[in-house]
Amino acid sequence: MTTLLAKIKWTLLLALTLGLGTVPIWGSEYAMLFFMLFCIYLALAQMWNLLAGYSGLISLGQQSFVGLGGYTVAVLSSYYGINIWIGVVLGGLASVLLALFMSLFIFRMKGVYFAIGTWIFAEALLVWFSNWAYVKYGSGLFIKPTNDLSMEAIYYAAFVVGAGSVALVYILLRSRLGLGLMAMRDDDQVSATLGVEVFRSKLYCFLISAFVTGITAGIFYVFQIFIQPYKAFAIDWTVKLVFMVIIGGIGTIEGPILGALIYVVLSQFLAEYFSVSMLILGGIAIAVILIAPKGIMGTLQEKLGFEVLSPRRY
Amino acid sequence: MEGLLQDIVNGLLLGGLYAIVAIGLSTIFGIVRLVNLAHGDLMILAAYLSLFMVASLGISPLLTLFAIIPVMFAVGYVLQRFLLNRVLGKEMEPPLLVAFGVSIIVQNFMLMAFTPDARSLMSDLSLKTFSLGANLSIPVLYLINFCIAIAVIIGLHYFLQNTYMGRGIRAASDDPYAAKLMGINTQNTYAVAMGLAIMTAGVAGVLVGMTFTFYPHSGPQYLIIAFGVVVIGGLGSMKGTFVGGLILALAQILGARFFGPGYQLLCGYVVLLIVLAVRPQGILGRG
Repeated sequence: MTTLLAKIKWTLLLALTLGLGTVPIWGSEYAMLFFMLFCIYLALAQMWNLLAGYSGLISLGQQSFVGLGGYTVAVLSSYYGINIWIGVVLGGLASVLLALFMSLFIFRMKGVYFAIGTWIFAEALLVWFSNWAYVKYGSGLFIKPTNDLSMEAIYYAAFVVGAGSVALVYILLRSRLGLGLMAMRDDDQVSATLGVEVFRSKLYCFLISAFVTGITAGIFYVFQIFIQPYKAFAIDWTVKLVFMVIIGGIGTIEGPILGALIYVVLSQFLAEYFSVSMLILGGIAIAVILIAPKGIMGTLQEKLGFEVLSPRRY
Repeated sequence: MEGLLQDIVNGLLLGGLYAIVAIGLSTIFGIVRLVNLAHGDLMILAAYLSLFMVASLGISPLLTLFAIIPVMFAVGYVLQRFLLNRVLGKEMEPPLLVAFGVSIIVQNFMLMAFTPDARSLMSDLSLKTFSLGANLSIPVLYLINFCIAIAVIIGLHYFLQNTYMGRGIRAASDDPYAAKLMGINTQNTYAVAMGLAIMTAGVAGVLVGMTFTFYPHSGPQYLIIAFGVVVIGGLGSMKGTFVGGLILALAQILGARFFGPGYQLLCGYVVLLIVLAVRPQGILGRG
């Protein structure tokens, strides 16, 4: 019975992934845009979830990596004529370096202090970039692709990070590191006694999340063509991610998928009224915390006793 | 070094304003162990309410405080009683995230209701100064901010130390179970504490609105200032909050003087991050 269920589950997952990966072939241009945004938000949300849901690190500073990833692509492509995809990967690496530097300061802080520390870092970067002549202050930079770039290519890149982030978190959680993380989440001190390297595990998660966030942001800004500090380093990025993950289900792999879908649908319907969609999302998120703290997927899993992508090995 | 003395005086007076911006955040963190991420947005909400009254009644912004204080107390009370109390528990994340949601809701509500334009609470005090000697003059508005800030902080301190309700609040903060056994309604005391904190935020919002321009999105900026003051000064001490305000404001004003006005905010953040890394419990904090 369980093997049959598992077979059906994996076939369905494969079909869904294939469907998502082939949107440019079967879908309209609008569908491509829709699913591209979905993939990008999925990757970003999955990374916030890796921190908040599994490592106990509430980061309010994901926009640091969004901005740095985007700016790396912009600077490398328009100043040095470097291939755009190399720029995207370098943006991810730059984010890892930034995360390492940040960790010197903020890994001494716990809980709420960590949250605000990451945020202050992002605000400092915002001020710095908007006062930096090299990146043309607040007026922003254009991203100039060195070779012709089709919308399809951007879509496939977004698909790779979107589907890749889910696979990455799934594999990560079933690895030694992931088992340690879940032990830590339940009890910091006991797991440390049992040999889990708490500090190092958290740091790895922070670095991985910075890398994927930086790359994803790079792809997003290749699509946007234009980057400005006030948008790239805005807290709005993290606000969206927090709402997506909380509504979908914090600490589940499926949660961010559902959350990103809800967000993209809502933002398409209310494209003209960003404030209204944020009001609605904020309201839903508060209601979810009060009524079902585990989010939609977490609550469903509890009720049905069935996880689609279970991090448990048995 | 021309004007350095002037900058230092301005920095110290601005520090008083920063202290009143922070005192509510510090108080509520000390009592309920909650970082109210909506603190800055509620401040700006008070500034808009004051602006609305100034525009419709034609009175001085300072007079609107008589209405702002009770209204903001009620806002804080309701927020804690009916929303935040429900998620208080062992973990700090749920209340943090609820407050974050409230912050975004308030911000976007203000954006819809008051448009994204820059506003300020103009009054005839705005440009007045009185001079002390040839190259030192004191802006009247800054001095008023400073005095009101000291009065509010001392008043809050007196309330928490010497009234029945204040003692109840401190008891509920020290040990909620023992406080309950002594017949204290902790849910109510937390709500009163939040009411007081948001009340000070309301006063701070009006003062900030009189001193600077503000937008619907200004809240997070003041939240970070408030948090910076609390971190620099150390938690749970009123004196620390005051000293923290002075240090942060001086760092900003002197940073603007030596590196250029664009770096005013950055210098504040750098000082803050250094204090966090070197002495996380704050300069006057215990432990």
